[in-house]
Amino acid sequence: MDLIRDKLARCFALAFPQMDPSQYATASAANTSEWDSMAQVTLLTLIGEEFGIDVNFEEFEGATSFDSLASRINGISPGA
Amino acid sequence: MRLGEALQIAGQPVGERQRHVHLLCGFEPLHLATFLKAYLRLRFPGDAICVHTGLYGDLEGNIQRAAQKSAEGGVALIEWSDLDQRLGFRSSAGWRAQTLDDIAAQVEERCLRLETHLAALARATPLTVIAPTLPLPPLTHLPVFQTSTFELRLNAILIDFLQRVCQGKGIKLLNPASLAMSSPASARHDLQMDLVAGFPYTLTHADALAELAVNCLFAAAPKKGLITDLDQTLWKGILGDSGVEGVSWSLEDKSQVHALYQQMLASLAESGVLLAIASKNDPKLVETSLQRRDLLIQPEQIFPVDASWGAKSDAVGRILKAWNIGPDSVVFVDDSPMELAEVSEKYPAIECLQFPSNDAAGILALLRQLRIRFGKEDIREEDRLRLQSLRVAAQIESESPTEASPDFLSRLEAELTFDTSGTDHSRAFELVNKTNQFNLNGARYSEAEWKSRLDRPGAFLTTVSYKDRFGPLGRIAVLGGYVKGDRCFVDIWVMSCRAFSRHIEFQTLRQLFAKYGASAVQFLFKPTERNGPLQTFLRRFLSPDAMAGEVLDLPAAVFSESCPPLFHEVIDRWT
Repeated sequence: MDLIRDKLARCFALAFPQMDPSQYATASAANTSEWDSMAQVTLLTLIGEEFGIDVNFEEFEGATSFDSLASRINGISPGA
Repeated sequence: MRLGEALQIAGQPVGERQRHVHLLCGFEPLHLATFLKAYLRLRFPGDAICVHTGLYGDLEGNIQRAAQKSAEGGVALIEWSDLDQRLGFRSSAGWRAQTLDDIAAQVEERCLRLETHLAALARATPLTVIAPTLPLPPLTHLPVFQTSTFELRLNAILIDFLQRVCQGKGIKLLNPASLAMSSPASARHDLQMDLVAGFPYTLTHADALAELAVNCLFAAAPKKGLITDLDQTLWKGILGDSGVEGVSWSLEDKSQVHALYQQMLASLAESGVLLAIASKNDPKLVETSLQRRDLLIQPEQIFPVDASWGAKSDAVGRILKAWNIGPDSVVFVDDSPMELAEVSEKYPAIECLQFPSNDAAGILALLRQLRIRFGKEDIREEDRLRLQSLRVAAQIESESPTEASPDFLSRLEAELTFDTSGTDHSRAFELVNKTNQFNLNGARYSEAEWKSRLDRPGAFLTTVSYKDRFGPLGRIAVLGGYVKGDRCFVDIWVMSCRAFSRHIEFQTLRQLFAKYGASAVQFLFKPTERNGPLQTFLRRFLSPDAMAGEVLDLPAAVFSESCPPLFHEVIDRWT
């Protein structure tokens, strides 16, 4: 799971360049103004690239926080 | 390029200069805007890139609104759904047979309106137009492997529209065949992304589109000269072993790839590219073989021919001197990796390309590379004259090897034409953006910056054409700036290296002083690594101290004192 979180952090760094890395773990669409629907699409696309998976958007429905994204990725590609 | 890489590049720190580019489409630009920004950053390192997009679903409106904002360029991407929403995958309006006529009529009408809007935008900013890159949905009753008359009709409307658009000034059309090579049709559409986000492209397609769009919109300055090897390159075989009749370039001799290469060289020569030969060979054998009547390139198209047994880099050096151009404007083609390495070591700026004799696919790639390096928008009279003027320059040098004497210059029957009519600003623009040696400050301009220079209060811009008893050189110099009071301010001054040693630069300044009765000319000067000839010229009038600043002041009296006798007949179209 640590590997997943490290890789996911790299995606966050690209999708939200203004965000302090210390905030990634608690970040969600609810508390991050720049995390809109287009940012979610970009984030999921970056996840697809970073983890080498075909992202099905439906599988990530509602995954709008760092933790929930990490959890969904682990479900698709355990340990990544 | 991956999206992550594009985001990294696009997010790198930037300098002060801003470049604004329109991305005009009817879909959500999303990753395409990111890739476009990244490729623009690579094209203009250090500059801040602002990609302006518009409203979703309103391509026409976006184009119209873009015309109100100044930018250095625009990319207009038209997909079928922009011509009729029913041709996209986000529409549920139905694919009934009776609607097809209506769709075609709608497409035709939309194309007419787009044509008008694109032409209006192109008057303000250079544009690259991209025709539909995604396939039509399977909306007719036919099996998909069979083309319907409806599709043919739509394509006919589109082609007609694109032909009209292409004729417009300032509009380039992206080549769909080039796009297909880097982005196969089957790997372009991302239906999931289209439906979820309104962005219809796969990442690979968006990447390919952005890269080609930037290359098309901001094409790199074309190279000026090509130096080629002979054996196993211009022809198959070793001249010294096989003899003049033993080398070949034909289907019959299984050496057609060399014929293709010769055809390419002949075509490049016609477009003004300088061609020379650097070959380790017996000069007499080479001379005889170049007279073979079946050669697909004319011997007159090649200058100089340097055949010797010395190092290739020495031959390249002599050719560069004869051409009087920098190595960064030159491509060297040879089949031998060793020769390429030897030349590259001495002239790192020369682009060295290997001729892959036994690799047909490699040959095709080489031919495409040559078109990329040497491709140009227009072919001008100056392109035709370039080789001739170099031969003349060599002749002049042989007659007067040191600085040309007044006696020699007086017998040239030189005629200079100063023309401010602006009938061909594109030639002036091209000359300013490619000249290095006699260039006042090395500044390069985008089309938008160029236009703004011409619109300044008191602005002037003259082209200078030259001819003498050896023949014409065409338009070889550009002088531009503005007049304020009794002073002229010059920030644009370039002259082609083909025109050196004829005192054209002196006559140009004399005309400038005379035309505006100026008490002094101020130059916005910047020394560069390459503009030594310009610096030498200015030092004739100005002390090292006076040359130290950015704005150099040349009083009329100082100029008159140091100006040599001039013998040109001046044709004055400087209004």
